[in-house]
Amino acid sequence: MIRALIADDEAPMRDQLRARLQAVWPALEIVAEAANGSDAVALAQQHAPDIVFLDIRMPGMSGIEAARHLYSRCHIVFVTAYDQYALDAFEQGAMDYLLKPVSVERLERTCERLKSRLARPPQDIGAQLAQLAQAMQQAVPVKPNHLRWIQAQVGGNLRMVSTREVLFFQSDEKYTRVQTATAELLIRKTLKELGDELDPDEFWRIHRSTLVRVDAIAEVTKDMRGRHMLHLRGYKGELEISRNHTHLFQQM
Amino acid sequence: MRASQMNRALDFVRDALVEASILWWRFVDWLALVEWRQLGIIWLLSLIGLGILNTPEPALWFIFISFGVKVLAGGKRKAEVEARQAGVKANVANLEKQLAQAQMAALQAQVEPHFLFNTLALIGQLIETDPPEAARVHAHLIDYLRATLPQLRARGGGTLGKQVEMARAYLAIMQARMKERLAVNCIVPVFLESAPFPPMMLQSLIENAIKHGLEPKIAGGTITVRAQVIDATLQVDVCDDGIGINLHAPDGVGLANIRERLQLLYGGAAELVIEAPVAGGCFASIRLPYSMMETSA
Repeated sequence: MIRALIADDEAPMRDQLRARLQAVWPALEIVAEAANGSDAVALAQQHAPDIVFLDIRMPGMSGIEAARHLYSRCHIVFVTAYDQYALDAFEQGAMDYLLKPVSVERLERTCERLKSRLARPPQDIGAQLAQLAQAMQQAVPVKPNHLRWIQAQVGGNLRMVSTREVLFFQSDEKYTRVQTATAELLIRKTLKELGDELDPDEFWRIHRSTLVRVDAIAEVTKDMRGRHMLHLRGYKGELEISRNHTHLFQQM
Repeated sequence: MRASQMNRALDFVRDALVEASILWWRFVDWLALVEWRQLGIIWLLSLIGLGILNTPEPALWFIFISFGVKVLAGGKRKAEVEARQAGVKANVANLEKQLAQAQMAALQAQVEPHFLFNTLALIGQLIETDPPEAARVHAHLIDYLRATLPQLRARGGGTLGKQVEMARAYLAIMQARMKERLAVNCIVPVFLESAPFPPMMLQSLIENAIKHGLEPKIAGGTITVRAQVIDATLQVDVCDDGIGINLHAPDGVGLANIRERLQLLYGGAAELVIEAPVAGGCFASIRLPYSMMETSA
């Protein structure tokens, strides 16, 4: 008996695939159903199915990640409603996939293909999966290591301030002052820590005690004492640029 | 005692001088913009009026000074005043343009293909297994698309009631898909439904809560939408008990767009507040000035 596992976070879609499979391939035994990627991996290890049907977007662990754990032990068929990156990769890599809603004709073809492949060990799709996982990460442009939210205690609540709202950080005696277009907040994180954690392309240090948002810079002027002063869009005051940071603003 | 009196006198003189200079520049502005013909009539009237009182001298001085100012500084001052007015007009036009662009961006970015295809796949499945439920989800999808697609957007969508209706349609679809993983709690008093509220802001917050908070959480959770008036502020909150904000993930286009539009529409009087509740998840709140007298636009 050939054994299969179905993983999809949406119960109606699991029902649909099970019903279609029973119609197209009555001899196939569905040994387990999973509602997320990590359950799929655990259940596959427990039941050792021959075929695993994996939805791509699932909570916890995506179908692609789950496949990376499973591809050496069972045949993988991806199922998706829409995933532009994945579909291209499946075509190029000759991987099996189904589009939701799953049509009977398409499922019949896929099942024929699977039957012919079952005699052999599963394809080695490790490299393609690694590439795909990376491509899907890059689809969301994230520099994951930089701090993007500042947490500040306001009243009894923990306020979350996006770094995009921040005009500048300035160190006070005990605290660090966070200035946005509408508010001024105090946080305990030191300017040194912020300097290490923030994206250096997003905030520049212009003074021992000041970090400014690059996007907000309007202009630099010289005051009567010859100091360079920085003006920000959306902020009335001006900030001093210390001598050893003026090179940031030298003309190209 | 004497010093304070001196100070008071000095203050008085300073204020008087400031007041006098304001009046003088108002006079110059008026002169610059007034028509020669009109000025001539005023001269004539002042001559006649003061002539009757037998003291034509101040009228002659007035005519002499105003003629001189009009000839010497009038043209320049007039150009300045007109430039200032044009500048204000251009500023308003510019703001309106920015706002229109931000609105468009908000509306166009909305319907995600992933959401649409998954919902259609679900409807396809339900047609076979549960036709009444299929019809319900289908109707919700149409409501959602009608409110979302700019081409189909019905007029008068700018009330809180409309926005909540659309949010309910979206959440009903997500409940049909996520089943027991999604609980919805919507607390919006009827009297607030006619309150003006900008389009696609509530929707954006709700989609964030689902996409970044609850969908990635294996157990799922609850989303609460609540509208209330606190003092003179209309506060619309979206709260979820999902996985919470990742401190290293940038805030999306959605939040930036809400902030930009609030700024353009209300200046500093409105705000978007994001908080991390102690129990976990995310709390987002849009706060707008609210007046009881306001009639729905």
